[in-house]
Amino acid sequence: MSMEVVVFACQQAVPEPEAVKSLWRGGEVRLRVLPEPCSSKMEAFQLLRTLATPVDLVWVIGCEEQLCRYNEGSHRAGGRMAYTKKYLAEIGLEPARVGRSVLIPSDESALAAIVAEINDRVQALGASPLRRAPGAAARRSAK
Amino acid sequence: MPAKYHIHVRSVPPRFSPLAKSTIIDWAEGCLRCARCVKEQCPVDAYRKRGFDRTQFVDTIDELCRDCYRCVQGCPRELIFKASNPQYSRIGNEYWTPEILAATWYQAETGKIPVSGAGYGGPFAGPGFDSIWTDMSEIVRPTRDGIHGREYISTSVDVGRKPMFLTFDSNGELTWPSPPLLELPLPILLAAPSLGANPGNIREIINHAAHELGTLAIVARERLTAIPEKTASLVMPSYTAGSLDAKDPLLSQVRIIEVLDHPGVLEQLEAVKKRHPELIISVKAPADGRVVDRVAELTAAGAEAIHIYASEEARGLGELQETHLKDLIRRCHLKLVENKLRDTVTLLVSGGIALAEHVAKAIICGADAIIADLPLLLALECRLCRQCAEGGKCPVEIDTLTVRRGAQRMVNLVGAWNNQLLEIMGAMGMREVRRLRGEVGRAMFIEDLEKEIFAPLFANREGELTKREPT
Repeated sequence: MSMEVVVFACQQAVPEPEAVKSLWRGGEVRLRVLPEPCSSKMEAFQLLRTLATPVDLVWVIGCEEQLCRYNEGSHRAGGRMAYTKKYLAEIGLEPARVGRSVLIPSDESALAAIVAEINDRVQALGASPLRRAPGAAARRSAK
Repeated sequence: MPAKYHIHVRSVPPRFSPLAKSTIIDWAEGCLRCARCVKEQCPVDAYRKRGFDRTQFVDTIDELCRDCYRCVQGCPRELIFKASNPQYSRIGNEYWTPEILAATWYQAETGKIPVSGAGYGGPFAGPGFDSIWTDMSEIVRPTRDGIHGREYISTSVDVGRKPMFLTFDSNGELTWPSPPLLELPLPILLAAPSLGANPGNIREIINHAAHELGTLAIVARERLTAIPEKTASLVMPSYTAGSLDAKDPLLSQVRIIEVLDHPGVLEQLEAVKKRHPELIISVKAPADGRVVDRVAELTAAGAEAIHIYASEEARGLGELQETHLKDLIRRCHLKLVENKLRDTVTLLVSGGIALAEHVAKAIICGADAIIADLPLLLALECRLCRQCAEGGKCPVEIDTLTVRRGAQRMVNLVGAWNNQLLEIMGAMGMREVRRLRGEVGRAMFIEDLEKEIFAPLFANREGELTKREPT
């Protein structure tokens, strides 16, 4: 079973989600990029349940806080990410399985660095322990 | 009177949540914990019913939301927003818009006519088929009420060569056998699209849907192995140029075939007709720069039916890439009228027929029937991501769809289209789709209106200065 990364990308920060795929050098690791209206669209439950499907890494890309179209959206996304990481640590999973980056919209070099960081992170973490957990096969087939 | 043709639609819910046009952004942090939260007052209880779609990684609240904006307007801290869903706006392309895809999914699920609600906020005219307005002058006449009316509106069309006259011998018998003619109950034929995961499964679904609808399924000859006897009469094998062999055993099983146009097509047709006189042969001609003359030439040479195929975006091919299919149909139709041969041949058109209104408008422009291809794939929940064309995995797993489920969704779509065709004809006061063919008097073309009404108003008289020009 090959690894899988899901990236939720704010459409202001990443106007062309295809660019993330073209920058991807993850080889066998499957990448899914889902455009969102704002990084604050993603609630903690959504990040956790995405991770539980299971995928190996969930990443949120948003705008710099002062550039957020919704003013507070990027700030709130940061708070949610911190909460999600804390929650994962509490239940004994690696907090590094979720991550967040911000960039100035349409900054291609920053985006390339983020994609490289995502790749490095997933390679370092390896497959999610949830894949080996009881019932994981059933969850995968239900997916 | 023959039994009224009826398409049996049945609700088939989607396997994957259709993407919502808008999405909710819910900032729960900073909530005042009001005694009566706006989320509890949601008329569809979306906040309580919301879940998580494990295949698409989306919150299902957007699927449940009915865009009443009660929560958005009611939250005292303004913590709830509605925004356009970028995942929705990115599906399809410029021609196959997200709205077309969503409307097709709805029709395939319910078999009902999509109703967009009170008011219309869009433009009144646009390019292509949107530049045609159909006549609605008899819309108040109840007896011709399309679907539920007391008068029967026939959607039957004939495919084949029609003689312009008959001759009888002294005994009153026809002096020559009448040519084969195939009556279809609706002016829509089904064809396998060029895309799609597991094409073999899609073909089987189309064959089943065609059998259910009583119309033809066009399938590439090389993809056909054995055809069950009960469906053979509704299968139309499509031959590539030069691949048609008069000894092909399939020719004795089917009633109609099509062959791609090529320089020797007429001789080929003659050879096959000698061996199989009861077989109807349609010639598939590209909608390129030669199409008008070629249609006239083939008709004069005795072609029974001609299939004009355009691009996926309803545009001509080759040098006619800027010309819309509707204009090409009109040109071909008028050329045949000019040559006094229009009634002899059946014109089938395909490419870019995306909505029910396109069926009626293509017929008004001069087609006898249309061929649906890509909409059939959309009926199977396709999102036109085209990953299948690159060997990728289908995100909505069309490859695993059961034939029964897929066929019913196609039947639902065609049922909804047929009902809309009935509504359009009812509003025109027409009772026969055969009579709609080339009936441009039942429609207004925005280009003509602009020329007739606006051109005289804004045209300068010779030597006269306009107000904008400096004196």
